[in-house]
Amino acid sequence: MSFWSRLARTFYSRRHDENIDEELQYHLAMKEEDGYDPRAARVRFGNPAKLKEDTRAQGVLTWLESLIRDTRYGFRQLRKSAMLTLVVIFSLALGIGANSAIFSLVDAALLKRLPVKDPQSLRSIEWSNRGWPDALCNMLTGDTSGDPNAQMQGSSIAPRIYRELAKQRSGFAALIGFSDADPAGVAVRHGAAEQYKLQYVSPNFFQGLGVRLRLGRTFSMNDDRVGQRPLVIISDRFWRRSFVSRADVLGQRLTVNNVPAEIIGVASPGFFGVQIGDWVDLYAPLAAQATLNPRVRLDPTLGETDTHWWVRLLGRLRPEINENRAAQQLSARFQHLVVHPGLHIEASKIPKLITSPGERGIDPVGADQSRALWILLLLVGLILLIVCANVANLLLSRAVARQRESAVCLALGAARLRLLRQYLIESLTLAVLGGAAGLLLSHVLAEAIHSLIRADLNIGGFDLHVDSRILIFTSFVSLVTALLFGIAPAWQLAKSSVSDALKANSRAILAGRLRLPRALVVIQIGLSFTVLVAAGLLGRSLTNLETMDIGFNRQNLVYASVNPWSAGYNPEQVNQYVERLRSRVAAIPGVLRAAVIEERPLSGNANLTVVNIPGRPYYQDDASAVLVNHVSDGLFETLGIPLLAGRTFRPGDMRAKSDAVIVDELFAERYYPRRNPIGQQFGTGPKPTEHYRIVGVVKNSRYNTLREATHPVMFRPSGTASSPGTNVNFAIRAAIPSSQLARAIREVAAAVDPAVPVVAIKTQTALIDHLLLSERLLSMLSSAFGVLALSLSAIGLVGLLAYTVARRTNEIGVRMALGASRTQVVNLILKDSVRMVAIGLALGLPGAFFIGRLLRHTLFKLATVDPLTVAISLIVLAVVAGAATWVPASRAARVDPMIALRDE
Amino acid sequence: MPKADHLQGSLEILILKVLRRGPNNGYAISTCIEQASDEVLRVEEGSLYPALHRMTENGLLKAEWRISESGRRARFYELTGKGRKRLEEEEKRWRSVTAAVAKVLRTV
Repeated sequence: MSFWSRLARTFYSRRHDENIDEELQYHLAMKEEDGYDPRAARVRFGNPAKLKEDTRAQGVLTWLESLIRDTRYGFRQLRKSAMLTLVVIFSLALGIGANSAIFSLVDAALLKRLPVKDPQSLRSIEWSNRGWPDALCNMLTGDTSGDPNAQMQGSSIAPRIYRELAKQRSGFAALIGFSDADPAGVAVRHGAAEQYKLQYVSPNFFQGLGVRLRLGRTFSMNDDRVGQRPLVIISDRFWRRSFVSRADVLGQRLTVNNVPAEIIGVASPGFFGVQIGDWVDLYAPLAAQATLNPRVRLDPTLGETDTHWWVRLLGRLRPEINENRAAQQLSARFQHLVVHPGLHIEASKIPKLITSPGERGIDPVGADQSRALWILLLLVGLILLIVCANVANLLLSRAVARQRESAVCLALGAARLRLLRQYLIESLTLAVLGGAAGLLLSHVLAEAIHSLIRADLNIGGFDLHVDSRILIFTSFVSLVTALLFGIAPAWQLAKSSVSDALKANSRAILAGRLRLPRALVVIQIGLSFTVLVAAGLLGRSLTNLETMDIGFNRQNLVYASVNPWSAGYNPEQVNQYVERLRSRVAAIPGVLRAAVIEERPLSGNANLTVVNIPGRPYYQDDASAVLVNHVSDGLFETLGIPLLAGRTFRPGDMRAKSDAVIVDELFAERYYPRRNPIGQQFGTGPKPTEHYRIVGVVKNSRYNTLREATHPVMFRPSGTASSPGTNVNFAIRAAIPSSQLARAIREVAAAVDPAVPVVAIKTQTALIDHLLLSERLLSMLSSAFGVLALSLSAIGLVGLLAYTVARRTNEIGVRMALGASRTQVVNLILKDSVRMVAIGLALGLPGAFFIGRLLRHTLFKLATVDPLTVAISLIVLAVVAGAATWVPASRAARVDPMIALRDE
Repeated sequence: MPKADHLQGSLEILILKVLRRGPNNGYAISTCIEQASDEVLRVEEGSLYPALHRMTENGLLKAEWRISESGRRARFYELTGKGRKRLEEEEKRWRSVTAAVAKVLRTV
């Protein structure tokens, strides 16, 4: 039969039906005329509707038509059991929503590529070396990884070397150089300065990335020279915000760190730089760093020298070029360039260049953060499995309840395939509704999680809009779910026998021993146990981190940060300003003490140096690395770090020539074992120019990290070396609430000099919270997942047991009539529940062990199998399971034998 | 008496054969088969009409509304060229099958 005749017949189907009717009517009439008994004729004729249906051939569109009818029927069915439908859609929405939210985070933070042309051909180029390249590099701005004593890797090279490399033709179509994004004080016209991110970039930055400018021009080679008038290109975001998208922005001037700079271009919309999650608003040529960066301006050893390495590299590989060969060629040139004449260095000590994928630019997400995200994705995947089991169970119990109906349908001649389709349609409808609700929910959840991160990181944020990949992921998840739980009831159905189901007491045969639902509940319990253990481990690990001794009192401690450099002060003015502000802050009612500190403890920043102790061989090894902090007098008193020997700093130490140094216990123990450290002298670096004299020893305190073993710390007076351009931090111990204090500080700062911005006011606990961001996020979300998993499993357990009780009402009635006590009846249900929970737990234990192994790098001071966590999870699960059993068990106990038996 | 179901395969050839004599309606086809087989073969309506429609769809038959001898409107079926060819093939096949079956019955 041709497709067209099918098609045509579908459209003329009513007429066709009438034709068949008339034909059959004629047949009957003729039979009666021929003397048949009309009744007998009709009986022999059978069901005219079925005959009609059989006569009507099955066309594609007839199939579609019945599909529509089945769908409508499905909707009616779903509406009829609204409660069940709602629970199913709600669970699906939670499962899919949480999955999409976490996936969109993972996607944004770990998978998404840079919004540039052909990101796959980009390569990140770094150097790798055995140890620190001593003779070549004194200072590195960027990232280093690996062990400085063994194989290590560094992100940046010297600017001159970069320019030489970029000039030569190589396997890279473009070699792009850029600095880390620096915070800079930027003022538009005569407004107050605000902090924005500024990046120094090579002239080929925009062309090389394939990013077009919205307005103006890019930098030329000529712009990248020291002493040139500073030029900047601004981001589209900055243009819209600060220039309300005015077209005459080109040629206008900004002040960047109090230096005028001319705007020559606006980047394309959506371009945020080369670091995902970090928005850069201003770009300037590499050489402009010498003019615009206050620190480089004042320190001749920084910037355009060969020993300060700060230019990061991204290369665009030419098509059809062997990556290894290109990297080797570039590396050989680099090695040749870094060794200038007169420098004697072993060939093995010269770093070589290596490439790695650069499609994501500079990866902003640390290893532990990315691990945290993958763990979350795993946990949320477990949640989805539990959801699937739950939904399958709910639908299965409904299918069982509808078994009789299905049997009637089959007896009346419905095709099994069509019945199966009916079930699939219903589950798909649920999946689509659940998926849509989940997508909405994922938006809300992702936004919430993201705002949590953003508030802490104070960054531009990830691009989190729902894109096609998240849509695909969500639809995939919901479709797979639909199939998973669509198959279970359909499978049950295929096994059902028509005649059995039609028997009067259909209850007896319904679903046999409920083997599948039981297995599903057992799996749910096992999975929730795994999730609970994970949540418990992560929570306990966080508590360990939060409650560890940091060496000083973290309560009522606030840090206020100001940046007097952005008001254009010279170092002398900065010192005067800091003294004035400090005395004004100390005079605020409720402030107990105030002092100045270079790096706030546990803010994540630290300065590292290598000590050179007389009488001890100088090695650049881990044991010689010490942390340095510059602090004012009164700092130890403000923080509450106890003095163990000698004295703390006095105001008289705060002069440029002071050689006083205070060290911590670890320092004294490591370098002066069994000696009195007070009065000892030492230096830093291979050939110390300065010698410090120890005047005091203080108790150990945490400096930059909570997790790792810390290095010894030395404290120097803050008046001796202030780093130009950086914030000045005041540590303030106060007896008033921090919000009130913050207001008072802002008033005082404005009174001293309104031109100096107050950059941040943070409590010590907020700093620690920020440091523990990924741990907190993990702990919070995993607890939420734990609660979710637990409630889903409880629903599953209650549902199954309630159904069992309803099904066994007769049996219970008989038992009671024969003398069973209520306790025995309750025990009957209890035993059932305990068995399922026990098997679930037995299955969950290996899962919990596995999760513990996965988390081993994330956990702090905790074994991968923590007995306490396992015990607590067990108890929590047992209590919830007990509560879930109670409802159906008490219903079983309330069964009235008379009513139950009469029902029979 | 064989049930209509046992006629499944042969119903088509019987319909073709009856219609070989000229166009006819469904009722007449069924009575014709029954009479010709001395009431041994009975055609179930539940098989006949689906078969007629299926064969029409497959292009073996043409259908048309006409006025029957009794003066009523009835649907008349007529062989197409394709139907004729099918009848010849089927008859040939049928004869060889029945001959083979008869031979087995005789010899074994």
